[in-house]
Amino acid sequence: MSNYMETIGTEVHVELKTNTKIFSSSKNGYGMMANSLTNVVDLGYPGTLPTLNKEVLNTAIRACHVLHCNIRKKMHFDRKNYFYPDNSKNYQITQATTPIGYDGYVEIEADGKKKKIEIEEIHIEEDTCKSAHRGSVTLLDFNRAGVPLIEIVTKPCIENSTEAKLYLEKLKELLFYADISDCKMEEGSMRCDANVSLRKKIEDPLGVKCEIKNIGSISNVKLAIEKEIERQSKILDDGETLVEQTRRFDDKLKDTVLMRVKETKNDYRYFPEPDIPYVVLTDAEIEKALESLPMLPEERRQRYLERNVSEVNISKIIANRPLSDFLNEFLDTSIDFSTATNLLLGDISFYLNKNEVTIKDTKLTNSKFIDLVNKLSNRTLTSKNIKDILDTILESEKEIDEIMKEKGISNITDTSVLESVVKKVIEDNPESVSDYKSGKDRAVKYLMGQIMKETKGSANPKMVNEILMQELNDNENSR
Amino acid sequence: MIDKLSEEEVLHTAELARIEISKEELSSYQIKLKKLLDDVDKIKEIKLPNSDDVNENEKLIAPWSRDCVLRSDQEGGMLDPKEVLLNVPKKSGNYIEVPVVINE
Repeated sequence: MSNYMETIGTEVHVELKTNTKIFSSSKNGYGMMANSLTNVVDLGYPGTLPTLNKEVLNTAIRACHVLHCNIRKKMHFDRKNYFYPDNSKNYQITQATTPIGYDGYVEIEADGKKKKIEIEEIHIEEDTCKSAHRGSVTLLDFNRAGVPLIEIVTKPCIENSTEAKLYLEKLKELLFYADISDCKMEEGSMRCDANVSLRKKIEDPLGVKCEIKNIGSISNVKLAIEKEIERQSKILDDGETLVEQTRRFDDKLKDTVLMRVKETKNDYRYFPEPDIPYVVLTDAEIEKALESLPMLPEERRQRYLERNVSEVNISKIIANRPLSDFLNEFLDTSIDFSTATNLLLGDISFYLNKNEVTIKDTKLTNSKFIDLVNKLSNRTLTSKNIKDILDTILESEKEIDEIMKEKGISNITDTSVLESVVKKVIEDNPESVSDYKSGKDRAVKYLMGQIMKETKGSANPKMVNEILMQELNDNENSR
Repeated sequence: MIDKLSEEEVLHTAELARIEISKEELSSYQIKLKKLLDDVDKIKEIKLPNSDDVNENEKLIAPWSRDCVLRSDQEGGMLDPKEVLLNVPKKSGNYIEVPVVINE
């Protein structure tokens, strides 16, 4: 147990999901041939001018909204000056003094208690080019140069590594669902820095801060913070003085290591970007940007809960956005959501994973899905039947009735029909009935077999079992 | 008025620009850079309306006062990677190759 109180703040960079870059009409893409998504603006050719992409503002407005931030109506951009090959202009265009969003929060739940992680600001900026260090050389790919980013900065209000993890998970879910970013940490579209400092008591001023840069996954953020607390605690325990540092997380060492940095803050010589005049947002523009906001996870959770979906399944379905979006298409129908989610998370997910396709790639129309769920709910189809015919349902245009006919599936679900069959089998097999009465459970299996034989396997086994047990017990009581 | 910058100021500026300067250059830059800064300072003497106590929303940030015109999110023309690499002193495949500046 540490003798210190930890204070943590995070800075998260998120690449925005736009078609084009922030200041040029080059494609905003990932995984393409190096230096194939650029133009003269991205490469910083002399005489070129930046033109701000409207969709960047709309996306940032959505981010401000979902993170409960105030939206600034009049803002400008600034130049952050530094001489480094990842930026051929020798400055990055950012918002140093007028961030679009400020004073927001993300609500997390830690140990059953709700807590608001306060957001200091959200600012818009351009991404730099991607540099890969190879021995004595660095290789540059300008495809990433000018990709729109927002940076989300929290106040130093996170109290431990678990809170940091919960905050990042919630942030990722919100940004992903609000169509702000695809938030792929492994591809760098969401990148996280953490600031960690220690102090003895809450009354003490904040301790010396160390920044851990570019951590590649949420679980590594948690680990990096823990390692950093360990390192700082040891230094303080030894009576030494902490020095403000920039470190990075080494995935192989599973520890933070000291990093040489480009500049310190004062050396960036920020000044207003003269090539971009003031950006002014009207209420109507803000409202319009928010029109396209999809249903957020919290509302989905609520709606599914109302439809009796289990907590476990709610979490699973929300973790799988395409399935959740698909399920939402049925919110106005009366299908049983519990059956529907079980089906989506079970057999359908199995099929999609096995074939590496999405639900939209299949032939599952909305009317077919409704029919399928209803047939499962009213036991016209059994879960075993589903396993036999799901591939055909998802791969052919045929209606489910047609597929059932072809496969010879006709489940008798009419209770009166089943009851008469059960009664007949009981009458025909008095020995088994007396075996059952003398405690031989095997007799039930035999009787079930006879019933299935009688119905040529088309009876719903669960229903048959219920009726058979009822009849056997009635038979016993009436003796 | 000091007529030159300190050696440290010039060396720090050179470091930010990632350039090496000789001893002779150092002393000459101490004077030249100071002159340049003094010239820039002259701009400060211009009395602008409300120049005292200007907040972020009133600063003159661009040489005109119109608000920003935004671009629609439509893809335009891009350069062929071959063209991109034409002016590059050194390349490696389709990458631009530069010496390592920071060893991580």
